[in-house]
Amino acid sequence: MEKEGKNGGPERVKIRKIPTGVPGLDEILGGGLPEYSFNIIAGAPGSGKTTLAHQIMFANATPEKPAIYLTVLGEPAIKMLRYQQQFSFFDQAKLAGAIHFVNLSQLVLDNDLDTVLEEIIKHVEASNAGIVVVDSFRTVVRKAQGSAGTTDTELQAFIQNLALYLTSWQATTFLIGEYVESEIRDNPVFTVADGLFWLSQSVERNSIVRKMQIIKLRGQESVPGLHTFRITDDGLQCFPRTFGLTEKSKNVKGKQRLSIGIPALDDLMGGGIPEGDSLLVAGPSGGGKTILGQHFIAEGLKQGEPGIVAMFEELPAEYVERAEKFGIDFDTPQKEGKLKIIYLRPLDLSVDETVHEVVSAVKEIGCKRLVIDSLVGFELALAPGFRSDFRESLYRMIGAVTRMGVTIISTVEIEENFTSMSLSNFAVSFLADDLLRLRYVSINGQLRKMMMVVKMRRSGHSIDMHEYKITTDGIVIGEPLRGYQGLLTSIPGPWSSSSDIPEPTAEGIDGDVLD
Amino acid sequence: MDKPSEFMWGLAKQLIAAEAVARNGSDEHEAFRVCEKLRASVTRFAGADSFTALMRRSLAMSRADVPALETVKIGAGGCVDGLEKLANNGGAEAGAAITAHLLLLLITFIGETMALRLVREAWPDAALGD
Repeated sequence: MEKEGKNGGPERVKIRKIPTGVPGLDEILGGGLPEYSFNIIAGAPGSGKTTLAHQIMFANATPEKPAIYLTVLGEPAIKMLRYQQQFSFFDQAKLAGAIHFVNLSQLVLDNDLDTVLEEIIKHVEASNAGIVVVDSFRTVVRKAQGSAGTTDTELQAFIQNLALYLTSWQATTFLIGEYVESEIRDNPVFTVADGLFWLSQSVERNSIVRKMQIIKLRGQESVPGLHTFRITDDGLQCFPRTFGLTEKSKNVKGKQRLSIGIPALDDLMGGGIPEGDSLLVAGPSGGGKTILGQHFIAEGLKQGEPGIVAMFEELPAEYVERAEKFGIDFDTPQKEGKLKIIYLRPLDLSVDETVHEVVSAVKEIGCKRLVIDSLVGFELALAPGFRSDFRESLYRMIGAVTRMGVTIISTVEIEENFTSMSLSNFAVSFLADDLLRLRYVSINGQLRKMMMVVKMRRSGHSIDMHEYKITTDGIVIGEPLRGYQGLLTSIPGPWSSSSDIPEPTAEGIDGDVLD
Repeated sequence: MDKPSEFMWGLAKQLIAAEAVARNGSDEHEAFRVCEKLRASVTRFAGADSFTALMRRSLAMSRADVPALETVKIGAGGCVDGLEKLANNGGAEAGAAITAHLLLLLITFIGETMALRLVREAWPDAALGD
């Protein structure tokens, strides 16, 4: 009798997913590697193929289900092992029976494909391998193609028999090869393979970016597209494109208002920033964008809300020191684990990596408030190839973080223009729920500061343009600038024909004015 | 150029001694037999060419300590040729030198854990001290 599955149809074969041991890769693969699959790891020299295979092998090999690594005319095994031992995943204890290295170079050079297949089978059976790696399989094929007696059909039969045998043996297999993309169409090995991992690294100006694509994966849904990865002392780490965007969000935006730490500004914004919103603060250099972010984080810490500052320009120590000048202590909350200041500026950063770094920090400290200071620095920190997709990058980053219920302030520097007013150089204001614009105005021979709330997605807000000053207490909002026309040009004139230009006041400003 | 440590010299001598016991009337030099056993283990995972390359280097380094090794050659597959002719002419010293240098190279390239594992695989029953 046919057994019924969950949906009432016949019960399906369950394909177990085995972990890759590569952070982020299981998520890209849709949960892990399909057990007993026949995979190809392809890419140019230096793209990380051998390291990936080793990492997967060390993550899964056990004395009961060992792994066998067959080397064939690729990187000499003795060199390969010397370098692979440098990675933290290389567990020497596993060499005592869980992992076997066998060299087949001479065998491949001296014999035909049938003998090679027989020898592989012999080694797999002798070791009872559950993971089989052939490095480099490309050289096996090349040698066969170079032999006068081997036809394409024989080569195809060899690949098919190898796949058939290894899958039947219940082994998960990885064939490593230095292939180029144009080979995908004509090479029989790509047809037979269940999984195809394509590794690449591209040089863009002075930056190098490594990318991985799962071109094919039978039996389960992987995340399409190019995913960036890094190779560190711990091996590969992947940064899925959809990191932080796939989980269902339980957070409802705007349930409550968060004080920015400047009561008068909260009032202008209709009661503070709606929780879960993204506020863009756009303004010129020296306009107080960073200080505004510091107010926001300090207020959150006062309310017991952990915060993160993602910095791309200033060094964390300088940032902390600058806050101290306004009476804000960022040292203690850092030590208490309530504040994390992340400095991201390796110059070949990928968006996915940035998102990963920020989202991981958010999860780690239960962050409620995030300041990104600044978007200009963020763009510069990205590898050149990613800068053209900056808006998409930002969309993903803000999306991933706000889904977690975090409220964001991003700063963006705007070059002052004295004839018009742009909202931001990046045209990213559509990504912001709320927009605060800072700018200089020239009044009575003085360069003064003015701010206005341009947009609040979820509420009404003040339509006044207020003067503000930066004092030893931080930002202090003054009175609205009334009686002027052309404030947005930065060179206002009086509304009336009277030559008496009202003197703007900044009542309620305490402390010394710093500018 | 690195030199084999006392530990490597000691291990080389232990392996040669183990082969002397197991010689069983063979004319082969004990050090030759040691290298042959290591050849099987190393060739299995690294290939014959890798073993040959290691042996050539090992011999070159050993010659600095034992000039009599000038007449010894490395043959096909990493086989040591001519060691038996040194029998009474520093043969023991020469054999120990080649073995110790081979151990040094293995440890340098694949690390002590893996290198000693290969030794243990080749002499599973030998009582090798620390």
